[in-house]
Amino acid sequence: MGNLSINLKPNFMGLLKCLNSINWFIVFFSLINLSMCIYEDQIGKFDWRQSYVGRIKFAQFDTVSTARKIIVATEENVLAALNLKTGQVVWRHVFESTSSGNIQLLHLSDQIITVTGSNPYLVRGWDLSTGVLIWEWGLTLQKNEHTDFSEWWVQNGLLVHMVPKFGSHIEVSVYNVATGHNRGATSKLPAVWINEGCVLSPPYYTCISGSPGNQLLLSMDVTSDAVQIISKPLAEYTTARNANLNPFDTNTVIPGFLLNEKIILIRGNKFEAINIAVSEPSASVALVDSASGPLVLQTWNDEAKGFTLTAHNLVSGQRVNEIGWSDRSLSIPEPELSAVICTKTAREQHVCRILVTAADDASHLIQQEGRVLWTREEALANVVAVEFVDLPVSDLDAAIESEFDQKEGSVLAAFTRRLQSQFQQLQGAVRTLLAGDAAAADEPPPLVRDYFNLHKIMVLLTDAGKIFGMDNLSGEILWKLYEPNLNTEAAVMFTRRSARHPPHDAYLTIVGKHEETGNGLIVSLNPIRGTPVGEQTLHLDVQILQCAVLYKADAQKLHALILLDKDENVQILPESSAPLVENMYMHVADRSSAVVRGYALRHDGERVSAKNIWSVDLSGGGSQRVVWSVSKPAAERIHSAGRVLPDRSVLYKHLNPNLVLLLTEGPDPVHKDVVVATCVDGVSGGVLSAHVHRRARRPALPLHSEHFLAYLYYNDKQRRHEIATLELYEGPERWVPAGAAFSSLRGARAPHVQRHAYIVPAAPAAAALSATERSLTDKHVLLALSTGAIVELPWALLEPRRALSPAGEAREEGLVPYAPELPLPAEAVVNYNATLLRLTRIHTAPSGLESTSLVLATGLDLFYTRIAPSKTFDLLKDDFDYYLISVVLAALVLATYSTKYFAARKMLKMAWK
Amino acid sequence: MNTKIILIYISTFVLGNVYCASDLTEEEIGHVIEGRVFPPEDPNNSNWQLDTRVHVNGGEYIGFVREDGTFVVHNLPSGSYVVEIVHPDYMYEPVRVEINSKGKYRARKVNYVQTSQVIQVPYPLRMKPVTKFRYFQVREQWRLTDFLFNPMVVMMVLPLFLIMILPKMMNDPETKEDLKQISNLAKISDVPEMSEMFTKIFNRGSVPKPTSSKAKQIKKRQ
Repeated sequence: MGNLSINLKPNFMGLLKCLNSINWFIVFFSLINLSMCIYEDQIGKFDWRQSYVGRIKFAQFDTVSTARKIIVATEENVLAALNLKTGQVVWRHVFESTSSGNIQLLHLSDQIITVTGSNPYLVRGWDLSTGVLIWEWGLTLQKNEHTDFSEWWVQNGLLVHMVPKFGSHIEVSVYNVATGHNRGATSKLPAVWINEGCVLSPPYYTCISGSPGNQLLLSMDVTSDAVQIISKPLAEYTTARNANLNPFDTNTVIPGFLLNEKIILIRGNKFEAINIAVSEPSASVALVDSASGPLVLQTWNDEAKGFTLTAHNLVSGQRVNEIGWSDRSLSIPEPELSAVICTKTAREQHVCRILVTAADDASHLIQQEGRVLWTREEALANVVAVEFVDLPVSDLDAAIESEFDQKEGSVLAAFTRRLQSQFQQLQGAVRTLLAGDAAAADEPPPLVRDYFNLHKIMVLLTDAGKIFGMDNLSGEILWKLYEPNLNTEAAVMFTRRSARHPPHDAYLTIVGKHEETGNGLIVSLNPIRGTPVGEQTLHLDVQILQCAVLYKADAQKLHALILLDKDENVQILPESSAPLVENMYMHVADRSSAVVRGYALRHDGERVSAKNIWSVDLSGGGSQRVVWSVSKPAAERIHSAGRVLPDRSVLYKHLNPNLVLLLTEGPDPVHKDVVVATCVDGVSGGVLSAHVHRRARRPALPLHSEHFLAYLYYNDKQRRHEIATLELYEGPERWVPAGAAFSSLRGARAPHVQRHAYIVPAAPAAAALSATERSLTDKHVLLALSTGAIVELPWALLEPRRALSPAGEAREEGLVPYAPELPLPAEAVVNYNATLLRLTRIHTAPSGLESTSLVLATGLDLFYTRIAPSKTFDLLKDDFDYYLISVVLAALVLATYSTKYFAARKMLKMAWK
Repeated sequence: MNTKIILIYISTFVLGNVYCASDLTEEEIGHVIEGRVFPPEDPNNSNWQLDTRVHVNGGEYIGFVREDGTFVVHNLPSGSYVVEIVHPDYMYEPVRVEINSKGKYRARKVNYVQTSQVIQVPYPLRMKPVTKFRYFQVREQWRLTDFLFNPMVVMMVLPLFLIMILPKMMNDPETKEDLKQISNLAKISDVPEMSEMFTKIFNRGSVPKPTSSKAKQIKKRQ
């Protein structure tokens, strides 16, 4: 034995040393091997994607190709083909999001013709069945402001472009559609009578002109060689004081227009008033062709009858009864007929398919008898804010929880409560057993919290003012609420009470602006059911400067809403919570003047008042303006107060909960453009650090959590995107003793700031940090790229402590050596090949599982998934082999007993020897 | 389409910042970037033109691929652009195209680290798929070598090796004694015997004594 130990010992020590040295490599490779990607068979297991196109601007039915489609062009500059039966996107092309991608014309013949941009224009032809580009040509006109009113249409296979110059003339150019070859040069038609109120109904351009009381209705065929003007006194058609011209929403038959509530057609160079009354001023009118002659379709939202649609025969003026109905259950605010197609069945019945677009951006394809074939909620292409809301616990769980809440009461009372809840549990179990599987299969799963709290409701606030409640696991819309007056620009959402406090319901508040007045508009609702609660819809009579939620809840567990208005007055909702205001501070950053003001809120016994206590001017001589202002997420937890260094000392993090990162941008006389990142304490107004990036532009997407910050900017000199990261440390000693609350007002020490910048070899569009319940898990950065991929990067790769060539100690700490370019491997793409077009934001939320963070990416598409930055350490893998492990266990038990038996036999034999 | 429409801009060209206001009061627009995308070699990828997008400067300008793979991006002012071909399944190498104010083109490889390095590539661009993206992890398959090198298996095999082979290698009596002790310790004696358990259960403890003494006897003999 002695021999052996001598031989082994040095080797063992050597082995340990060897292990120590490869330790660093192990750490390094474990980081490089970003094995966080999913398996191929997990596609769609935790994630879903919904494709949208945006509010429909132009739509036409494709009647040529075999697969029935609707071709749509949208406000979001998307050209798409929708399946007629399901409404699914068959294919889509996304143009530039700027004005150069603006779709001016959609025309369907044997191919799709689009005109995009606004001087320069691009004319493209697409294959109708496949959607592939066939030809394109560009057109640039002399720059002038009149091109904004220009009109395009296709007539006899020629593309016509008309530019009206109000008060003087009309310029008309005709091009060969496919080549752009100009047939005749641009012709100028003198027309001094045109103004901004004119309407086009190809090829006629119609205006009301003349002095009041002596007005004329004028119209001209702008494509004919001979200038012919149709002119009639307006009084012949209307006696109304202010006459308005409106085009039809859809017109495929005869040129015509709407004069107030009258339909006027242009036939044989004559105006012809039609004897069909427009039922409602707001009605949408369409002229469509059908087998029995042209039809006039009207739709509006009747106060009594709900959504109403009527049809009249244009020739006879008689009502067509089979196309016309009212439906109270359909909520289609301000309907607009986007496209209509009418055919006739064998039984001489009209069959119409009508695509209706509403003010809430939703599109409905409606068939005969008001049957809605499908609905597309296109408002979701423009999500402004997202809030993840916990579901309430089931009634049974709530009863059990309440059992433990009640502290008072005798032993006997507690015992009876216990018995009661046990009985309820038993009842529930019996009921589920009796109900069987049949009922369970039909009903959707109840909206109750699951064991890991992975099932939530996402409340999505959209640009159109529509609010959606969405199931995060299935992506199904649970409820929707349309607020026509809500302007969601810079709107914020707060969960003021979670569903955790039965019998009180969850409470969510949206603070936005009123569409017309710009004053504050507050919408409070129950996020689980979408019903208004509390203040409901409250229209304030003043503009809001800043809003926040009080950190203390009142007796009803409701967090009060604090509003700071333009006159620096404070409003508390509900007012009863005013005495709870204590140690409350707010800051307001003015975008254009770059001045940040801090306010202290005090309750003087009667009311709460705000006092301006500090202001910081970040304008840098007037040129800078604030682009972003980011503070820490409100409900953030911090797991560790420091980092253990290799020499066993601790480097303490500077965990200032009031820290605000302000990014400013502006021109500079020497360095062209300058980006400044300033860390300001939101309570005291102290500037903790400031960093200047010269020749940089477009600062974007700041991230802020714990003690670290990151932001992106475009490096103009090197022409690349870079991400700057900062980490704030207090040093090897704590500033405040452990356990003491951090105070911004005590001590004016500046933290030690470490920083680095990395090259992002792509164009980032959005960024977010993973969020977990207790922040035990590593932080990962989710970076959305313009290519449509979301890349998950560990913070360790962005860490400012990465040294260029790590010395021994840094190696031991596990720091990756510095590399200027960030790796963006395909394995780290969380949405694999499900490309997400025009991503704008990523939202993350913690789940009940510490390892898992929920992610929702918004943009033109919605994509939901869940990520596990440190892998699912608290959950068995979904491919865990229960079968194998039970077989192995059984085999082991068997082997133990059999060897035991054989050993006993051997013993016996030995004993007999 | 090759004709470049050059338009002299009247000096109303105003941007929010001084970025191009240095001495470029006249800015010409209307340059085009042309090229051709080669399809990935995938037989079931029939409509690849739909999935392939041409992004210039991260989507600032967008081009579309025609049936034959050619593309044109229109209306670019002179400057430096990164042209990317975006396909969900295949990777294409991006190219930097520089257009000077005279309308001359230069295409080069994108290098974000050494931005001044020039490795020219032909213009009009020829974009070929480099590789297929590997988004997914490959599921582990059961293999014998994996099983044998499993730490648990190694942990079981190594002591076996120490117990069985080492004593034969060393004929030192002292170590033998030691090893014997170790093997005595390792002997399985705590596992309850199945027969004993059953007799205990069925006889309700009426005859536990003789069996336990038997066990003791066996232990003594060892």
